[in-house]
Amino acid sequence: MSLVTIIWSMIGSACLTLAAISFLTWCRNREAWANLFFSLLAAGTAAFAFCELGMMRARTPAEFGTVLKWGHVPTWLIVVSLVWFARSYFKAGRKWLAWLACGLRTLALVLNFLVGQNLNYREITGLRHISFLGESVQIAEGVPNPWMLVGQMSLLALVVFLMDASVTVWRRGDRHRALAVGGGAMFFMFSSTVQSVFVFWGIIRTPITASLSFMCLVLVMGYELSSDTLRASELARRLQQSEAGLHEIEQRMRLAVEAADFGVLIRDFTRNEIWASDRWRALFGFSETEPLEFQKILLRVHPEDRDALQSVLERARSGYGVYDADFRVVLPTEELRWVAARGRVEFDSAGKPTFARSVSQDITLQKKAEEETRNLQQELAHAGRVSMMGQLSSALAHEINQPLGAILRNAEAAELFMQDPSPDLDEVRAILADIRKDDQRAGNVIDRMRGMLKRGSLEKKPLNVGDLVGDVAVLVRSDATARSITLELIVADHLPPVLGDPVHLQQVLLNLIVNGMDALEELNRGERWVRVSAKLGGPKTIVIAVSDSGPGVPADQLTHIFDPFFTTKPKGMGMGLAISRTIIEAHNGRLWVENQDQAGASFRFTLPIAEQEFTT
Amino acid sequence: MSGAYPQMRDIAPIVYVVDDDESFLTAISRLLRANGFTVRTYSSAHEFLAQRDPGTPGCVLADLRMPGMSGLDLQSALAQSPNPLPILFLTGHGDIRSTVRAMRDGAEDFLEKRAPKEMLFDAVTRALGRDSRERAARERQRELRALFDTLTERELEVLSHVVRGRLNKQIAADLGVHERTVKLHRTAITTKLKVQSVAELTRLTQEAGIFPEPVRTFP
Repeated sequence: MSLVTIIWSMIGSACLTLAAISFLTWCRNREAWANLFFSLLAAGTAAFAFCELGMMRARTPAEFGTVLKWGHVPTWLIVVSLVWFARSYFKAGRKWLAWLACGLRTLALVLNFLVGQNLNYREITGLRHISFLGESVQIAEGVPNPWMLVGQMSLLALVVFLMDASVTVWRRGDRHRALAVGGGAMFFMFSSTVQSVFVFWGIIRTPITASLSFMCLVLVMGYELSSDTLRASELARRLQQSEAGLHEIEQRMRLAVEAADFGVLIRDFTRNEIWASDRWRALFGFSETEPLEFQKILLRVHPEDRDALQSVLERARSGYGVYDADFRVVLPTEELRWVAARGRVEFDSAGKPTFARSVSQDITLQKKAEEETRNLQQELAHAGRVSMMGQLSSALAHEINQPLGAILRNAEAAELFMQDPSPDLDEVRAILADIRKDDQRAGNVIDRMRGMLKRGSLEKKPLNVGDLVGDVAVLVRSDATARSITLELIVADHLPPVLGDPVHLQQVLLNLIVNGMDALEELNRGERWVRVSAKLGGPKTIVIAVSDSGPGVPADQLTHIFDPFFTTKPKGMGMGLAISRTIIEAHNGRLWVENQDQAGASFRFTLPIAEQEFTT
Repeated sequence: MSGAYPQMRDIAPIVYVVDDDESFLTAISRLLRANGFTVRTYSSAHEFLAQRDPGTPGCVLADLRMPGMSGLDLQSALAQSPNPLPILFLTGHGDIRSTVRAMRDGAEDFLEKRAPKEMLFDAVTRALGRDSRERAARERQRELRALFDTLTERELEVLSHVVRGRLNKQIAADLGVHERTVKLHRTAITTKLKVQSVAELTRLTQEAGIFPEPVRTFP
């Protein structure tokens, strides 16, 4: 057997083998398009190698021509599959260049069958024997077909396309692959193109050996592809390892979740399915096998908490992404349970929620403790109010006696007027109107006192700061007058309402004002004043200050003044400021004291402004 | 409804009511007017002191507790004027300390704001009576002072001996003059002071209070 036959047969069979392997790979993984195109490329190369062998061994010019003509079919396959291999494997290369190369090649194929004897020769006039690899092979002699240019243009377009793709891959940072595949492909394409140009235009006299170049190309790409396979198996090995790690982590998580007594719930929005851990089911009173639906879960939530929970969930679902809610769950046994749920919602690329995962925890004991603390604080606050009302009782009696006295005197005056034979009825009417007004005034004082003595929980609502300060002033004004103290109220105009409980906030103000007044005993009568001022303290807060003209708080007491049972008064309990601070902190505010530059102490506290959209 | 005050003079006495509580002020002045008193109202002690005519008789009815100048401040301010007015205080209960101080400083009376109206009227009438009496007494004092001012230094010296009950002979010896001279001085004194007897002379001297002796003007 001759060397040429051996080499070209080897090229063909090697390429066919690679094509078969690659094709099988593609069959098993239909998404590996690179493998399919590689398989086609290798198959085309094999076919072309056999065509070349046929040409070298041709006995007549006609036979040579026919083989050359059919040899353009594998060439077309090589070009097209190479283009799409590059596109699918590199994920690079301009699309229009790809289409240009394929289009030109297809056109060349069509011309091949229509114009002249084949694309390369209009007519093959004869065969010439030349010596190649130590034996005699045939090459053609004839008139070149000018349409051959189309085919060569397509090869040029392919080279440009490959260059462009390699540059893109290079820039992407994958330099090794850009060099190996892009550079290799270009070199072999270029060399085979140049050779065929010279051969067909009759400039040099060698047989066509493009399949040799193509085979090298196939080998390089095959190597790359197989190294990908190697990488994949390496990845698979690592995946196995990390899966083992994951399993370990999962075990640890499970341990943590069980130790923390967390119930876990996962909701799949796309499949509309809900999965929950056993602990979660126990928490919400579902059996371990009961199918779960969102509505069914919602029905377990206490009716008063349901709307709030739903709006929190809705907000998370519509893009906010996380939720955090405390609510009550009513078990089928009527038992009540406090649950804290924290969750996270995942979204797909279109922004639609896909999954929600949450952990829930039983916080009943914590809530009970909180409630107990709150009750105690409220009891204490109430005790503070009662004691303060006691201190103010004489002043308050005066405040009620004043309108009552006016009513009595008016009534007596009216009686005297009515004894007159022709009484002045206008005067009597005026008296009656005054009586009504004074009755209201006395009633107001009593209402405010009752409010202060009421035992009630903290209920926040929007409050006008001016009214708040004014109401307190009604309760202390008389006491201030009796002690010759000027009580000044400075409330800035157009203050937004604050969010708070009127009774508790009045208590704080009352406590601070009475403290201020107590600090003035040593002063001369003209120098005693207490000033209450309110103004904006920031975009979301209002600052209320109660300042006095007394000696101020000694430096060593500044830090202890809010401690429980800290007092400087002979009859004081030392609870007033401690209670006040608790109340203000329950309003998300801050209470502190400063000594003023000129004289006296200034107790200040902040309150949050009530937001208009508070309800929803 | 007239005849509430027994000692009507040329100018009707006025009840000055001072209270910072406007509605009580209106109410009590209505009642007093309905009972026939002439009333003027003031919402502060300052206002009253600024507008007061010292020559007008009357009495003051003031709230003990007022911002700024209190009832007690008003009392001491009034006491320093040449024609002080009797002051009645209106109080709530429990003002013991203030009440004691006001009493010591000669307050006419204390009334709770809701005291029976008869008590109120009686107290006002009493205060007006006292003002009238004190005014008359002050008037008499001024007349007596004018009378005694007509005596010479020597005559006053002789008078001081006479009212102590000393005889002419003793006085002459003390002053180092003749007994006859003493008699002449005594005649001048009785003529100027328009008195008939030594007893009358002694009473008048005591009433005028010109010698620093323990003299009781009012029994």
